[in-house]
Amino acid sequence: MTGDSDNWTPDGPIRRDGPAGPDDGNGHGMGERQNGSGVPDRRRVRPDDRLPGGPAVDPAALETLLAAAMRAGTVDADAEQRAVAAFRDARDAGAHRARTRRRDDWRPREQRSAARSLRTTLSVFLASLALGGVAYAAIGSSGDSPSDGAGDDRGRATASASDEARPGGPTTAPGSGPTDRPGTAQDTEAHCRAYEQVQGRGKALDSTAWQWLVAAAGGEAKVPAYCAEQLARATAENKPVNPGNPGKTVKPSKSAKGGAGSGSAGGNAGSGQADGNADTNADTNADNNQEKADKAEGKN
Amino acid sequence: MQAYDGELGAAVARAQQGDEAAFAVAYRLVQPGLLGYVRGLVGDDAEDVASDAWLEISRDLGRFKGDGAGFRGWSATIARHRALDHLRRQKVRPRPSALEQDVLDLPGPHSTHDQALEAISTEYALELVRGLPRDQAEAVLLRVVVGLDGPAAARVLGKRPGAVRTAAYRGLKRLARQLGGESTDKGMTDDGPRTLGEST
Repeated sequence: MTGDSDNWTPDGPIRRDGPAGPDDGNGHGMGERQNGSGVPDRRRVRPDDRLPGGPAVDPAALETLLAAAMRAGTVDADAEQRAVAAFRDARDAGAHRARTRRRDDWRPREQRSAARSLRTTLSVFLASLALGGVAYAAIGSSGDSPSDGAGDDRGRATASASDEARPGGPTTAPGSGPTDRPGTAQDTEAHCRAYEQVQGRGKALDSTAWQWLVAAAGGEAKVPAYCAEQLARATAENKPVNPGNPGKTVKPSKSAKGGAGSGSAGGNAGSGQADGNADTNADTNADNNQEKADKAEGKN
Repeated sequence: MQAYDGELGAAVARAQQGDEAAFAVAYRLVQPGLLGYVRGLVGDDAEDVASDAWLEISRDLGRFKGDGAGFRGWSATIARHRALDHLRRQKVRPRPSALEQDVLDLPGPHSTHDQALEAISTEYALELVRGLPRDQAEAVLLRVVVGLDGPAAARVLGKRPGAVRTAAYRGLKRLARQLGGESTDKGMTDDGPRTLGEST
């Protein structure tokens, strides 16, 4: 009748209807049956194959019997009319436009899962679009907002500047604190400006940002000098290109000279304020430049 | 009953478009099995319970999605809920039930199986089925009378397909024993586990 019930009634419908099956009456020998309706390679052990004797009810026959008995009787016309009337009322009231709930979806599993996977795919796609947009915007804001030319120039220029400055002597003021990469220069600048605003007032300086600034400057006492350097450098960078300005980094050779000169003249944190422009150009080197500078200092 | 599933699916689809004649066709195709199922659950009150179920079916028809076989499963789920509601109400004010005694008094074992297999009355079949444990009776009814396949019957019952298959197997085995006579008891019982394992 159904696929599963066939599993245990492999020999087909009703045993007594079998065309040529040996009717031994007690089920013995059924397993060896090779003719009639039985398919040899589908032979299975049936519940009634091993009966010691006596009659057994074939399951398929039993199902047929039960179905016939339980479904017997004519459909009550009044009940049908009531159902149809209810259908009409519901239709006219618009109830049939109601949304399908999960328990109303009896489509085959593949269709249901296909519909669901389509929905899932679509939402994943939309989510990835949104996330991708955010990521792109984030990249754009950190990469594009500083003026491109200045940012790139600064890195390259200071690197070459320190390279040229190395033979000339010590270039970096020791007290100027750790160098920072170009990416954090903006942050430093902002922190320094904030520091100027809130200095000596309240607990705003206890914040993480403040602690970061102290660490970057190499100590709380050095913060003013450090910030002065950073701000002076930022100011210089924001000015239009002017070859006459010694702090400008457009021409590496020029800034290198400036860096070397001020470096030898400086040597403490205080010098940063005076020679800010030149010093910070050298200060923005990567850490290896600091090492090079130390070596050069040792040579002298 | 699966033979009508194509016709049933088409009728349901047209009924969902508002065709009330098509709804009547679907009713006539589904009602015998549905009523048999409800009868196995609630007995004499089956007609009323089935009527309630049809009210809900006709109201919610627009929500349904699926083919003819799916409609049988969906409507059986609704009928089952109505039947369980009915049984809960009945529990509050119970009625005397002579069911167990009736099953014991059945004439089945005394007739030969061939005679028993010729035909059995609706009442006799109903009493046999209602003598089963509830889970077995429901599994047998859904599989045999409503004509659902294993997964659909499991969905109606809210159980795993394996559990429903086992329950249907045990229920049918027990019915076969009652119909076939006491002499088969031992063999059926001894063979049970092996055949069960094979069927899963």
